[in-house]
Amino acid sequence: MPPRSQPASQKKPVKAKPVVAKLTVVASGPPSSDSQKRFNPLTAYSFKGASAQLSQSSQPPPTKKRKGKEKAVEVPTDRGLVDEFILDDRLWVDVYEPKTEAELAVHVRKVEDVRRWFLEAFDGGPSGKLRRYRRILALTGPSGSGKTAAVRLLAREMGFEVLEWKSATGEASSSTWDSSFDFNGDYESAFSKFETFLNRAMSCRSVFDVPAAATPSMSSTSTQRKSNTPSSASKHVILLEDLPNILHPKIQDQFHASLRAFIESTSQLSSPVPIVIIMSDATMRGETRDELLTNGGGAGGYAWSREKNDILDIRTVLPRDLLMGPYVTQIAFNPIAPTLMKKALTALIDRHFSQRSSSSSHSDIVTPTKEIIDAIVESSNGDIRSAIMALQFNSVASKKSKKGKKHGVGSTQVMEAVTRRESSLALFHLIGRVLYNKRKGDPSSTSASAKDIKREKDLDVKLKDPSRLPPHLKEHERRASRVDIDSLYADSPIDSSLFSLYIHQNYSQFCNEMEECDGVIDWLSWVDSSGGEMWYQANPHRFHLLTLGVLHSLPSPVPRRSQKVYKSDYFEYLKKEKEAWDAVSDTRYWMMNHRGLGSEESLSMNASRWSRSEVTLELGAILKLKQQQQQMRKDKESFFPPSHSLFSKLTFTRDDKMGMQVDEDGVSKEEELQQFIALNDGEANGGLAKGPGNGDGDGDDVGGNWLENDDIEEF
Amino acid sequence: MSLWVDKYRPKNLQELHYHHALSKRLKSLASGDFPHILFYGPSGAGKKTRIACTLREIYGPGAEKLKIDQRIFLSPSRRKLEINLTQSNYHIEITPSEAGNYDRVVIQEILKEIAQTQQVDLNAKQRFKIVVINEADSLSRDAQAALRRTMEKYMSNMRIILCANSTSRLIAPIKSRCLLVRVAAPNADEMAAVLNSVAGRENFQLPEEAARQIVEDSNGNMRKALLVMEALKMQSPNLTGPLTIAKPDWETYCHKVADLIVSEQSPSRIMEVRNKFYELLSHCIPPTVILKTVAERVVERVDESLKADIMHWAAFYETRMRIGNKKIYHLEAWVVKVMSLYKQFFYGFDMSSFD
Repeated sequence: MPPRSQPASQKKPVKAKPVVAKLTVVASGPPSSDSQKRFNPLTAYSFKGASAQLSQSSQPPPTKKRKGKEKAVEVPTDRGLVDEFILDDRLWVDVYEPKTEAELAVHVRKVEDVRRWFLEAFDGGPSGKLRRYRRILALTGPSGSGKTAAVRLLAREMGFEVLEWKSATGEASSSTWDSSFDFNGDYESAFSKFETFLNRAMSCRSVFDVPAAATPSMSSTSTQRKSNTPSSASKHVILLEDLPNILHPKIQDQFHASLRAFIESTSQLSSPVPIVIIMSDATMRGETRDELLTNGGGAGGYAWSREKNDILDIRTVLPRDLLMGPYVTQIAFNPIAPTLMKKALTALIDRHFSQRSSSSSHSDIVTPTKEIIDAIVESSNGDIRSAIMALQFNSVASKKSKKGKKHGVGSTQVMEAVTRRESSLALFHLIGRVLYNKRKGDPSSTSASAKDIKREKDLDVKLKDPSRLPPHLKEHERRASRVDIDSLYADSPIDSSLFSLYIHQNYSQFCNEMEECDGVIDWLSWVDSSGGEMWYQANPHRFHLLTLGVLHSLPSPVPRRSQKVYKSDYFEYLKKEKEAWDAVSDTRYWMMNHRGLGSEESLSMNASRWSRSEVTLELGAILKLKQQQQQMRKDKESFFPPSHSLFSKLTFTRDDKMGMQVDEDGVSKEEELQQFIALNDGEANGGLAKGPGNGDGDGDDVGGNWLENDDIEEF
Repeated sequence: MSLWVDKYRPKNLQELHYHHALSKRLKSLASGDFPHILFYGPSGAGKKTRIACTLREIYGPGAEKLKIDQRIFLSPSRRKLEINLTQSNYHIEITPSEAGNYDRVVIQEILKEIAQTQQVDLNAKQRFKIVVINEADSLSRDAQAALRRTMEKYMSNMRIILCANSTSRLIAPIKSRCLLVRVAAPNADEMAAVLNSVAGRENFQLPEEAARQIVEDSNGNMRKALLVMEALKMQSPNLTGPLTIAKPDWETYCHKVADLIVSEQSPSRIMEVRNKFYELLSHCIPPTVILKTVAERVVERVDESLKADIMHWAAFYETRMRIGNKKIYHLEAWVVKVMSLYKQFFYGFDMSSFD
């Protein structure tokens, strides 16, 4: 998936020459089979035939020496460059954008889901009726999981056009780029431009046959491309990737409104244009948000429900009713699997270096070794873009290092430093590492591979035995721990507060005796209460203290009885608590208003006498009785809001419900974040939190069921 | 059809059934120089009723014409806080716990606003306005500190009435600036008198036995007593024969949790108890109440020698709970402590004998 296209002049401001060269090419406008209208100077010329022709006709800049490079066939500007690594500044990500499904590293079923959606959107599926529901496709997933690449590839394969919205801010200055776009001094807000774009894109499709100067996303080349592919004229897709500033509440409302309007107006049309929204999940740590959340929640659930969400997320982009509604299909992309990624990288390397060797006989080419590819795949965490970037960087770096007679170990270290992403330790492993409490000399688990056993042995050698404790402290003596807390802390994908919640949810399975449990929970309690009232007064050593405390308290070795790591119930509880508080407020306001109307005295005075805890603690019984009475008498009079059962009704059951399990693939971390976000939104979000964890095509299935039912009704 | 508690709530100081000396004092204060007052006393003793009566005494019936306003405050981090304010022409009531962490902002804003406006009603008996702060013991330190200065500064046209369950969580400067008025819980006779008078106004006879039972059950909480009476009346209209006072769901639930703790002590039982706690918490039962109810029940069911320890740890973890964020940890920590104590006792293994 290439990065958002930017004008070439912005992207590489330093190297003016190649850019100029490219821009001359732009003006001549090569015909391309690429059916998208987005102006992307980097990918627009990957069409070999056209560029090859063009390369012959265009004038090479006189300063350049002719030195055949492997990409000369593809890229006209490459000819005569001194060193393609310096002067061919195009990124491999763009050069080797997947052209066929086989090249796409995304799981086949995901691609199939997306393709099916497009088929249904254009043809209405088998029953022909799905078309009106395939209005918005939301593609979510971590960055570099191939979302955009999949859409582009399908556009090429299925022959539809992608009309992409691009925010014009900052681009007005690059005159070369939007020369066709008449920026008349009148100020037009970015959002109204967006609205115009949306309206035109969905209603006035015929306009696109002439140069569409109105839509900022159009490049001057689009028409030419268009005329080459007349068959695709009937099919359009609006792609929203570069969204307006949704974080601004007003713009967000406007955006939601225009999406609703879009659905309303296009569901009547015979051949509506579908929208594809691509959202990269923001992977950020749940740091202070978590604190705010718990603080506010503790203070009664009022404050934190008001918190404005400042994370860009599919829930902010799409209003909740739409997201749950029939018109929106969400397909969540997973991080790219290591095997697929490795295959893709190897193929890319093959292509790159075979081309290179065929076109010239350079000797100082260093093909990345298998180890380097492995390291890249491992460190990229399923982000293929970062992996390719790392690969390119590596080939540059390794070339230089060869000159300096330093290759091999050095480059892997460089790779480590460059490609290592912040959250490289999956939540599952983090919790496992702490709770299994491995210490020096522990026997390896039966499933461990020889490599793991060796690694443990090596580690044990390095560990120093702690000094003996005096007799009165004997009970605190432990063997040296294999857990390196500092690196754990550095790699932890979650902050200490969330970490403590996971420990809390799971520690009891790992304990044998009550005393061990007591140790762990006492540490949790202590760590939680150390520090002040406010989040910024919190103890800065919480993570370390908690980890050390837990390791100290757990038995050693921890018995293995196939413990399962569960997701904390805490969020579920917060959600329910919030709903219950809302019910309490409802009841209180009902009491106030009801009094005020009916009675002769101004009784509203009395209702304010009821504090919220009094309502929950004392009113419950009588509310229930009154409701029973009311039901018996079939009273029509509106009595207490029925939601009161949320706080007044508590039935004791002994069934052991088990929480959601945390999978090894580490996806649950994102679920967690989603959950956080959902909570912060003040939204009770059930269905979506399961998102990416539940395998392929899940989101689509949900939509599919709904639609099938609807179809039956229509017959 | 409002609840009896609300319907027969005394409207002025003369109507109050008990603490007549206190009523008399408030009456004389109302006509003369009125200070800042801090009302404190247990839940259901009639603090808020007394405050309302005092307001009426000061301003006359006009103080009963209330309206509810929703006001929006901006926190320092530009977050919007929506707070509901109950106010009349003469006074304003706020419950700062609704503002969560930002109670300081809310208090300051409101006090400043009140202090800046003069009493517009020329017929008003007093020149000042009154700010009633409910649940003052849940005010954060910051807010209390903010209050302290304002109380002196705007004395000329504003008085503050604080209402709290206990003074222990209020800072000393505030206490020293207020007239402390303790509203004690009514005794059994006073409660019975109130119950009978309400029964009289509802036109039924309350049997003595029923009254005794209600008073006993409600433990000095007048509101609870009246609610129970109303519930009983609904269940069995003539109020004779054996009466079973239905406990609220959460109380029965807490008792069952206590039984779980006593009946088995194992890591898996901890998980079970934890889920029960989550259930209670998600029904908005305050964690302190949960801890107290469960602890009292556990203490009933264990050996004499354990009781002191169990209560000690309950107090210990209750303190931590007040400071900490995640209540569940501390509740659970207490449970685990109790379980391990109980287990040690059960196996006759007493650590203290080694000392």
